[in-house]
Amino acid sequence: MRIVFCGVGALGSTAAVLCRNLEATLVFVDFDRVESKNLLAQAYVKQSVGKNKAEALKLQLLNFYGVKAESFGVRVTADNVATLCKGAQLLVDCFDNAASRKLLSDFARATTTPLLHAAVSGDGTFGLVRWDERFTPDAEDVAGQATCEGGEHLPLLGLLCGAIARTVQDFVKGGTRRDSMVGLAAVTPTA
Amino acid sequence: MATLNITYNGLSADYALELDHQVSDADIRRIAVEVVRSGNVPGLALPHLNDAAFDAFVVDRLQGGHRIYLRPKVPFGA
Repeated sequence: MRIVFCGVGALGSTAAVLCRNLEATLVFVDFDRVESKNLLAQAYVKQSVGKNKAEALKLQLLNFYGVKAESFGVRVTADNVATLCKGAQLLVDCFDNAASRKLLSDFARATTTPLLHAAVSGDGTFGLVRWDERFTPDAEDVAGQATCEGGEHLPLLGLLCGAIARTVQDFVKGGTRRDSMVGLAAVTPTA
Repeated sequence: MATLNITYNGLSADYALELDHQVSDADIRRIAVEVVRSGNVPGLALPHLNDAAFDAFVVDRLQGGHRIYLRPKVPFGA
């Protein structure tokens, strides 16, 4: 199975590491570079600072766990989404903006590719794991709203990424499509 | 009868809601403020909750409207 993680920041990078045991080819797509501040809330290590995130995650999986993956260090656009997601049996949306999420949704619906969305609130107290058929992207309250990248909300991000990985695992194993809401105290299945 | 699930400040709880007509999202937000203030939502007793506490929250209606989720927006991922 080919699983494409779109966006490998706080959610995508950590969830991907937790998916390293799956019998699947993991593919990472992200145009951004690793900054030192990212080390507090994302799966990157100090040696990856300055590298493209998708490439860095691929190298980390190979060097630390011996897991081979693929990477595309580009921004997903309407022009390249079909190429980047070609052959995917599962798409995992960990983007940080509604426009990119919608772009991915449109592609998934047009090609009937299963798409799992993961999203977190700006204050880092709540997250969602939801399949595309029941998902509507939320817009930021204010453009450029501060996120929880400082590491303060790492425990919630850990819970949320565990829920993402478990949902991916269930899908790979038997095609189950489970939704969850993740708060500070619980992971609650909702579908 | 519907179940209203309210998530606030990282905590989440259910409240059984008697509904005899279609209620708007604004109604749900208003009801949520009142029931949380009243202390009737287990684990979410906040007597001084602000009137606007849920103004920016999203109302999700699942399972044919039998489960209603009032939750913070989740715009972020990467």
